Amino acid sequence: MAATKQQGQWFGLFLIGLTVTCAGIYDLSSGTGKIALALGLVVLVVSFLRFLGLKPLEGKVALGAQPAGMKAVGVLVTAAGWLLALFGLHLASGVGGRMVFAILGLGVSLVGVVLILPAACNKNAIWKA
Amino acid sequence: MKKTLPQKFLLLAVVLMWSLGGLAHAQTATADSELKAASAAAPTTTTQAAGDPGGSTTGTVNDVPVSDAKAGVTVADVGNQVGQNKIAINFTWTLITGFLVMFMQAGFAMVEAGLCRVKNANHTYMMNFTVYACGLFAYWLIGFAIQMGGAAGNGNLGGLQPLNGEHTMSLFGKTWGLWGTQGMLLSGHTYDVGVMVIFLFEMVFMDTALTIVTGAAAERWKFLTFCVSSVLMGAFTYPIFGNWAWGGGWLAALGSNLGLGKGYCDFAGSGVVHAVGGLTALAVALIIGPRIGKFNRDGSPNAIIGHDISAVLIGCFILAFGWFGFNPGSTLGASAAGNLRIGSIAVNTMLAGCTGTFGAMLYMWALKGKPDASMSANGLLAGLVAITAPSGFVNPVGSAIIGAIAGVLVCLSVAFVESKMKIDDPVGAISVHGTCGLWGVLSVGLFADGKSNYGGAWNGVTGSVTGLFYGDASQLVAQIIGIGTLIGFVFTFSFALNWVLDVFLGQRVSAETELEGLDLPEMGQLGYPEFVFRPEPAFMHVEAAAVA
Repeated sequence: MAATKQQGQWFGLFLIGLTVTCAGIYDLSSGTGKIALALGLVVLVVSFLRFLGLKPLEGKVALGAQPAGMKAVGVLVTAAGWLLALFGLHLASGVGGRMVFAILGLGVSLVGVVLILPAACNKNAIWKA
Repeated sequence: MKKTLPQKFLLLAVVLMWSLGGLAHAQTATADSELKAASAAAPTTTTQAAGDPGGSTTGTVNDVPVSDAKAGVTVADVGNQVGQNKIAINFTWTLITGFLVMFMQAGFAMVEAGLCRVKNANHTYMMNFTVYACGLFAYWLIGFAIQMGGAAGNGNLGGLQPLNGEHTMSLFGKTWGLWGTQGMLLSGHTYDVGVMVIFLFEMVFMDTALTIVTGAAAERWKFLTFCVSSVLMGAFTYPIFGNWAWGGGWLAALGSNLGLGKGYCDFAGSGVVHAVGGLTALAVALIIGPRIGKFNRDGSPNAIIGHDISAVLIGCFILAFGWFGFNPGSTLGASAAGNLRIGSIAVNTMLAGCTGTFGAMLYMWALKGKPDASMSANGLLAGLVAITAPSGFVNPVGSAIIGAIAGVLVCLSVAFVESKMKIDDPVGAISVHGTCGLWGVLSVGLFADGKSNYGGAWNGVTGSVTGLFYGDASQLVAQIIGIGTLIGFVFTFSFALNWVLDVFLGQRVSAETELEGLDLPEMGQLGYPEFVFRPEPAFMHVEAAAVA
């Protein structure tokens, strides 16, 4: 399908929604601000639903289905490594202990990024077919 | 009446203060009279009308604005003018270096488009062009407030007092900054001269991070999704980490709260700008998948050659030029608070770019047989990316080492990303900005020599930033926590965000569009309409047919 008028229209709507939402947050203490925030969020949701409606028109993409569960595991492992490093700051009080937790956390995150996620995203890659 | 001892001391103090006050008053009066004499002796308008070819009569005491015309110029007037001159120098410095950084967009556009095939030139240039508007708009709406809304207190730019709101959280008995709250739409009390300067400077940095992503996703990224993704990155992804590192957030407070060096230190953005861009590029590249024909059935990669190496090399020089805004400009001033170190920062930047070029060129030449132009270009950029965080804290020898390591590292990383992770990154953005950005962050914790002194403290901790090789291991811990946050939070956030966009919008163009080239279907116009296209190899058509 490529680029179309509808895409431009809904992207414009998305920008309007974001602007109104931000104006609402800026003036949140007033009634007008609250109305603007609610209105902006509605416009944003509408724009995303419109985007969703356009998606099937795109045609077949050169991309195999990526297993969502495996991707979610990759994301969770990556985030878990970060949390481990953060809690290590509390669990250890010395520089050496904190260094160990930080490196350990980094290692866990790298497992998610370097091993799990690429494997998930390439599991059904079309070049394997 | 006989006075007690305390009363005597009190009397003595009063007499002393009265005497000193009188002395100060007398000195001020003397200074005022000297200023009046200087004013009377200054060149008259008649003298100046004759012209001043030597520059000796232009700029005198009579150019100092006076608060009271009857009293003439006073010490207070001169003091105010000196203060305003300091701020004016710093405003000018920060704005001009910001303008240099803005021009880096042109360099990025040339590098990325040059490394892509001619059938996608318009689309690639257009992404690099549009990302400026997408990022700027989102940053103005909310991104700047999230990042810098609590960053008050910078004396270089007059205090930035309107930016005085940071949302914090109490954890383990300490207060941690999470995001700023002031400066949305640059309205209300943030309609302020200093705030405008810091907005411009921080905005062009943010836009640099955004434009990195377009390189890794080039030749297959749907333009609509690119636009939405860039807006959201400018509004949220970049500003959140930017706040944690530069806006008074929790990473910067690792020093004051936990005694980890001077907190997370990233002078000009190896982490905040480049690693954020590079890791987001990795997230998008994972989701969007490789270009048709990039990998064979056995997983071995094919080289898909770009169309214009001259654009790549000229683009790199534009980027190297812009980097003189990036790093020296990050002092946010040229006057006071140790800012004269700008010369050292500029030289460090040059040196790391130089050794980065050598690192990559010699690696390719010695091991692969040719001084590969595109990898040499990436070596220059790798050196510049790596020195961005440490540029303000290291010496020239340290810079040269950091750059050389980055030059080799980028070659290794490109091969690893392509051959082991099976990720298609047409321009090497993940390796140049992601891998070398993380290396730059780490190198602060190793090479910072403890000689810099920006007003006596960094991140609210007294003293100079000092790395492991100069005696402070705790700084290295702060840097590793920063790297962990970049990978564990920024990458995760970017991946989740772009995954959602993939569900709603679809990240990738159709196989048909991809084979045809994105210029006509997505942009409606070829980048080079009079070029004769060479047909794609037959195996690409076979792969596309398999999709259909």
